[in-house]
Amino acid sequence: MKMRNIFLLVISSIMLVSGCAKKRDANERVLNLVSPAEIKGFDPIQADDLYSGREISKIYEGLLQYHWLKIPYELIPNLAEAMPEVSKDGLTYTFKILKGVKFQDDAAFPGGKGREIEASDFVYSVKRLADAKTVSTGWWVLDGKIKGLNEWRDRNAKLPTTNYDEDVVGLKAVDKYTLQFTLAKINPQFIYSLAMPFTYVVAKEVVAKYGKEFINHPVGTGPYSLPSFDQSKQITYTKNPTFREKFYPKEASPQLQHLLGDAGKKLPLVDKIVVHIIKEDQPRWLKFNKGEVDITGIPKDNFATAIKDNKLSEELVKKGIVLEITPGLDVTYTAFNMENKLFHNKKLRQAMYAAFDNKKDNALFYNNTAFPAQSVIPPGVSGNDPKYINPFKGPNLDLAKKLLAEAGYPGGVGLPELKYDIPDSTTSRQGGEFFQKQMDQIGVKIKIVTSPWPEFQAKVKKKAVEIYGLAWMADYPDAENFLQLFYGPNKSPGANGSNYDNPEFNKQFEDAVSMQDSPARTAKYEKLNKFLAEEVVSLFGLHRQSYTLEQGWLKNYHNSDFSHDYVQYLNIDNAKKAELLKNF
Amino acid sequence: MQSNVKQSPSLFKSALSRIVSDKLSLIALIVVGIYFFVAFLVSIGVLAADWGKEVAASYAEPSSLVWFGADIFGRSVFVKVIKATETAVMLGIVVSMISMFIGAGLGMLAGFFGGLVDEIIVWFYTTVSSIPGIMLLVAIAFILGKGTTSVFLSLGLTSWVGLCRIIRAEVMKHKDREYVQAANALGASNSRKLLKHILPNVSHLLIINFTQTFDSAIKAEVILSFLGLSVVGRPSWGGMIDDAKLELGRGVWWQLGAATMAMFFIVLAFNVLGDALRDALDPKLKGK
Repeated sequence: MKMRNIFLLVISSIMLVSGCAKKRDANERVLNLVSPAEIKGFDPIQADDLYSGREISKIYEGLLQYHWLKIPYELIPNLAEAMPEVSKDGLTYTFKILKGVKFQDDAAFPGGKGREIEASDFVYSVKRLADAKTVSTGWWVLDGKIKGLNEWRDRNAKLPTTNYDEDVVGLKAVDKYTLQFTLAKINPQFIYSLAMPFTYVVAKEVVAKYGKEFINHPVGTGPYSLPSFDQSKQITYTKNPTFREKFYPKEASPQLQHLLGDAGKKLPLVDKIVVHIIKEDQPRWLKFNKGEVDITGIPKDNFATAIKDNKLSEELVKKGIVLEITPGLDVTYTAFNMENKLFHNKKLRQAMYAAFDNKKDNALFYNNTAFPAQSVIPPGVSGNDPKYINPFKGPNLDLAKKLLAEAGYPGGVGLPELKYDIPDSTTSRQGGEFFQKQMDQIGVKIKIVTSPWPEFQAKVKKKAVEIYGLAWMADYPDAENFLQLFYGPNKSPGANGSNYDNPEFNKQFEDAVSMQDSPARTAKYEKLNKFLAEEVVSLFGLHRQSYTLEQGWLKNYHNSDFSHDYVQYLNIDNAKKAELLKNF
Repeated sequence: MQSNVKQSPSLFKSALSRIVSDKLSLIALIVVGIYFFVAFLVSIGVLAADWGKEVAASYAEPSSLVWFGADIFGRSVFVKVIKATETAVMLGIVVSMISMFIGAGLGMLAGFFGGLVDEIIVWFYTTVSSIPGIMLLVAIAFILGKGTTSVFLSLGLTSWVGLCRIIRAEVMKHKDREYVQAANALGASNSRKLLKHILPNVSHLLIINFTQTFDSAIKAEVILSFLGLSVVGRPSWGGMIDDAKLELGRGVWWQLGAATMAMFFIVLAFNVLGDALRDALDPKLKGK
């Protein structure tokens, strides 16, 4: 009798628990996303890769952001009350900070309650980015731009501890809610840096409490929170209960009018976000096809079955899946680490470029959906000359062999085996083998070295690579963001992972970026772009298009190059999801 | 001095004749022989030297021109399988050798000397075996960096514990036998007793273990490939199966089929041969 009672009790409690769980699931709006690479962590000043940037933007915020529904991209205030007041000489930017915005609750604050953000928090966050001891990967965005900041950095680099109380002329909290930047010289791109994850606001107390573990304890002002990060294969964010009153935009560009359904609603719209870290294409694809992921790209090997004549296959249409094709502002490239004197040999670089068959690369890895890159600036950004053809772009084996001989290595004789670093997914390995094969045609021997994404990035930052394959996606719609990849002072750990440093290029670059947007500046950008192309500072590959698939129950999504904080605008139609899932 | 005592055939000779007389074992021996011979021909450049050559369109289907179809770069999958045989056989041999050297070496020392030496070695292999094999493998591969050598070493360094245990126990048994005591009485040194007297008497275990380690090394390489830690820049069966996990999405099954088939035969042959060798070499089973 007793045993029976216990048994019944167990059964009924299981039913109760599962019943409760089901009920909660039905009402909760959960967004399921994937990240194709591991996340390095949640420190904004280290957010130099797209994948980390996207995760950090769920929790942290900056002064500015991109309007979710405006194309061409438009900067709007986020933690600022309004766009800055800019002085007549174009050097001083004054921001009013939003009042009443609070950091998320955390044990680092008195009583565990997040406090209100102040102008001084932004001063601290910018100084933290500039601090040489934090070895930030984002210092390049402010290097030389804010008056007195470089001097502060250099001075403090020599001291045992950085003095954050020391004033910087160009970086002031005028009062609790007023923040002022004074630039060292005119720099039209400065404003963009305030919408990048590197300059997101962090709290001094939190950094002090967690020290080195700060990277795993994100505490921001953003729409979602994550108590701690543990490098697992799944990251689950929940709504930040103290998030301010922020609303879905009521205006949209003509092509995005259909995304105004939730206009005026309080953000964020979904209750929970689950990010699955899935490095390999196939599991990602299968998960999407089972309806367990809401947005995905199309793996190269599934492209032919998913897309027919640039349209979605019938099978996917039946499931309610939607296709969106958008040209991405990006470039793929194979970079040389110029710290290695071997690569100072321009003819060698040119020979390798001429040997590389870009068309085949496009066919094998991108199903012929990408555009060949002649240099670094992608189409759609001023500075790209659509008529320009790079004379060294392959495949041209005769030219490649001739150039290699002129470089001093006829038939590759005398040239040591070169290490080619790539991330460790199967597609990357195949890409590596393709490169190896291409170079083998002219006798250049390549050894492939694979590493997980964070380790691969760390190697680039430490200059511990010879040649490596990468893609750069625009942080903001200005050619400067691409040209700076080869600007000497941006060497590793900055964005210039090639460590290319040419005084003439540096000077011309500095001149161009201090100009306001004008035909004269575009002409300068074009000249610099061609210079990099013919110097073959990198083997520029392709400008990719993004083919994105969205589940039919996902609302408000569109491809955006810059809105890393897009998740707050997304919504899930649970009723439609239940309906559509019957077709899966 | 002449003797009319008929000398009995050596253990290995009789083992060989037993294997040859058994059909299944003989086939297994021939299969293994073929793989080794192919690997040898590949290594001297007679076979599959042009494995990197494009012979058909990307992902061309199997046909009379390309027997097992083509891979992403239009290379013949058949030739790749042949080339990968060299990698597999080399991997099997090197890994088995490393494992044999460490396992037998430590096992003999532990079993022969006992006491503190034994305790230290037992502690060491217990510790190594308590770490999940795959984790240890990944950790070693990370430390040594990627590449063929590190795959060889990491597999070798993680597969010696079983042999070490067996050899230790066997040596413990043998060290008190009469022939060792006789050697002792004649004043033989420890190294002489170990290498000249005991080792030949436990060597059959090494051979049996060799066949087991050989095929587990080939299988482990596939797992490493899946984890992105394997041989790059030259074909391997693991690498081909890793490629296939993407290609199956577009209906390309031939890399998976070819690599699995090649693996299947050698692993099966080694298993059969290992079994036959155990039956033939184990003195306890002699004459049965």
